[in-house]
Amino acid sequence: MGGSKREEKAKGKRGRKKKVKEEEEEIYEDNFDVDEEEGVPGAAKKNAENAGGATVLEDEFGAKDYRKVLEMKPDHVNRPLWVAPNGHIFLESFSPVYKHAHDFLIAISEPVCRPEHIHEYKLTAYSLYAAVSVGLETDDIIEYLRRLSKTSIPDGIVEFIKLCTLSYGKVKLVLKHNKYFIESPFPEVLQKLLKDPVIQECRLRRDADMITQVETKKAAPQFGAGKPGTESAAAPAAEPVQEVVPVPDDITDFYSKLDKADEDDDEQQTSTVSFEVDQEKIEVIQKRCIELEHPLLAEYDFRNDTVNPDINVDLKPSAVLRPYQEKSLRKMFGNGRARSGVIVLPCGAGKSLVGVTACCTVRKRAIVLCNSGVSVEQWKQQFKMWSTADDSMICRFTSEAKDKPMGCGVLITTYSMITHSQKRSWEAEQTMKWLQTQEWGIMVLDEVHTIPAKMFRRVLTIVQSHCKLGLTATLLREDDKIADLNFLIGPKLYEANWLELQSKNYIAKVQCAEVWCPMTADFYREYLHCKTCRKLLLYVMNPNKFRAAQFLIKYHERRGDKTIVFSDNVFALKHYAIKMNKPYIYGPTSQSERIQILQNFKFNPKVNTIFVSKVADTSFDLPEANVLIQISSQGGSRRQEAQRLGRILRAKKGAVAEEYNAFFYTLVSQDTLEMAYSRKRQRFLVNQGYSYKVVTKLAGIENDPDIFYKSREEQALLLQQVLAASDMDADEERIPGEGNRPGGVKRTAGNIGSMSGADDAVYMEYKRNLSHIKHPLFKKFRA
Amino acid sequence: MVKVTRGTLVKCDPAMKEFLIHLDETMAIGTKFIIEDLDEQHLFIQTDAIETLMARVDDLMDKISFPMTEKS
Repeated sequence: MGGSKREEKAKGKRGRKKKVKEEEEEIYEDNFDVDEEEGVPGAAKKNAENAGGATVLEDEFGAKDYRKVLEMKPDHVNRPLWVAPNGHIFLESFSPVYKHAHDFLIAISEPVCRPEHIHEYKLTAYSLYAAVSVGLETDDIIEYLRRLSKTSIPDGIVEFIKLCTLSYGKVKLVLKHNKYFIESPFPEVLQKLLKDPVIQECRLRRDADMITQVETKKAAPQFGAGKPGTESAAAPAAEPVQEVVPVPDDITDFYSKLDKADEDDDEQQTSTVSFEVDQEKIEVIQKRCIELEHPLLAEYDFRNDTVNPDINVDLKPSAVLRPYQEKSLRKMFGNGRARSGVIVLPCGAGKSLVGVTACCTVRKRAIVLCNSGVSVEQWKQQFKMWSTADDSMICRFTSEAKDKPMGCGVLITTYSMITHSQKRSWEAEQTMKWLQTQEWGIMVLDEVHTIPAKMFRRVLTIVQSHCKLGLTATLLREDDKIADLNFLIGPKLYEANWLELQSKNYIAKVQCAEVWCPMTADFYREYLHCKTCRKLLLYVMNPNKFRAAQFLIKYHERRGDKTIVFSDNVFALKHYAIKMNKPYIYGPTSQSERIQILQNFKFNPKVNTIFVSKVADTSFDLPEANVLIQISSQGGSRRQEAQRLGRILRAKKGAVAEEYNAFFYTLVSQDTLEMAYSRKRQRFLVNQGYSYKVVTKLAGIENDPDIFYKSREEQALLLQQVLAASDMDADEERIPGEGNRPGGVKRTAGNIGSMSGADDAVYMEYKRNLSHIKHPLFKKFRA
Repeated sequence: MVKVTRGTLVKCDPAMKEFLIHLDETMAIGTKFIIEDLDEQHLFIQTDAIETLMARVDDLMDKISFPMTEKS
């Protein structure tokens, strides 16, 4: 009985484990503690969703009827927006005032879904916070929204905007002459803060009273060689349309006003009040201010910083910023100071150039953090390509390359290198010491969505920097922890519209396709019978999928395209690659071999196809590739899908003639779990406006004699191989340092004799220390 | 003696046929229902099982699809 019980227990355990694993697939990202709640102001937790009226009629499809709540304006045809009481805003992208409305909405709300004709946005507390921090004011937001809307604005929304914006952005934490000041144009707000005992303690009383100063705001800096001309070049395209269709005057008027406020801040005098605070107590103040619902905006007045030496980097004249890059940077350096925040640009749209330009604008010591050693090298190249920085100024700090850090201007390193807590080499130790004593002007965080809050906190405690710039392509996580970034780094300053960049040829035009491969009868029979973890292997190894992959590879090789094939499953990766006689890269592939394969892929016209595992998901720069085939993937991860698409997004040269110049195929085995995953993964890109074409049959695949696994016998043989594969093969590839799944087997050296006690083994009984296992019932009786 | 059984001819793709066979073998709907396995695409099954089978196939399809419109 005991045996059976134990068995049952083990079974239960396994069951649970399986469940945990499934959950992990959902939230496969780093799971960190939920101790971040406190860093979020009260207003931010409120949701516009509930602010709307409670009784809204819904029809049978869930469409909401707001006719009774909202009033239609007589000239609604000319106005582009619908504002729903639940905080969602719908924008007609074909409207003549689209451009105006779009810029405005991007500033105040989060894009939810942006297909071709109607865009959906959502007002959130965070987005409004971001709006305030880039200089919009409550009344402006409401007024402009009112003008753009086809209907009256629901009261709930007005309330919500007021609630979220009135207290935000009133106080700023400014670093000037290396002293921290709390600054505000509103004396009454500062008075309120000063009445708080905690803040009083932190205040430095050097002078008796508050400092009132009249300050002339400076113009926003120009970025490199990019003249204003580049911006106006894009604008005229919209102008002529405007003349044809009547636009309500108030909209254009207001837009130009808004534009002005955003850009030409010069010759505007504002009087601000400020008081100095103790540098050591910054953290306390920040927290306290959030509790008082007046979150501090961190700004860095880098031009007046005389203590930190300037570094001598400039953009090369050849570096020309694209309009959207300039726009995003203008958001960051809007009033002549540097704000912290996150800039979201699609992969391949030139994130690094934005980072490099930001560093060159600040011209103080800069630190760049990225994910891997490979991207460290790439960042260095980018710096050398776009700016005047040379080898002596750029210092890499990774486990492989340790340049002399002293006196360098730009330090490039990885997150793990900084947060590494075990023993380091002497050299690295010295560098770390040096790094900690420095005051950095700007910190650039690459792929910022990947870092968990905990690690980020660690980075912040180690590195002192005046402003932080986060760069990412996909500001989303499956665990919705992305909102934390708002308060750890700063608000989202800019998010580009993928489709717009695509239509302007800044990124490749991608045709996304989902290829349905029917399961063969034999494979499907096994699929129905086997355990969940085995299923993966079966639907990845589906012979029809193999055939589809081979067919597509051949087709694109004939066209002269460069193809990357992605597979998360190593067993499948090896089998496909070896069978088709193509090179492959996965975790254990050595650095030199990787480079060799990549070089061949780049330059050798005979190597047109490579197989890669998920090591190549991010920051593998393969500008040549324009076809991507995905044969297996990591569950329903939206981010992976977007990152992979990013591998082929880099704009292609000389391929404008065709409608599409890049192809993204996902091979899916029909009637299996993969279908659901595939749907799930597509959500993000669909919301960016991409559409997937479903291909159910590849024409000509039956007639091609060279394609493998045509006969039933061959398929049966493959099935045998698949069934013989071990459980380890069935799993997805694990990359060391990614998540902490238990690593099954441990191997120790020894001989068979010692196992049976032939050596000096002594029988020993180990008493498990039971004292730490405490029954909750008896907790009360212990101290 | 001739025995007459009322049945229905089902035509489907090979994978779906495997699914039906799987249901039949595991007695998922309580009884066996396949009268004759004809060829790759055809099965002859008992008529009264059809309704339950349709529901089962619907379930399968629900399981492998994911609602595009998420409620967030």
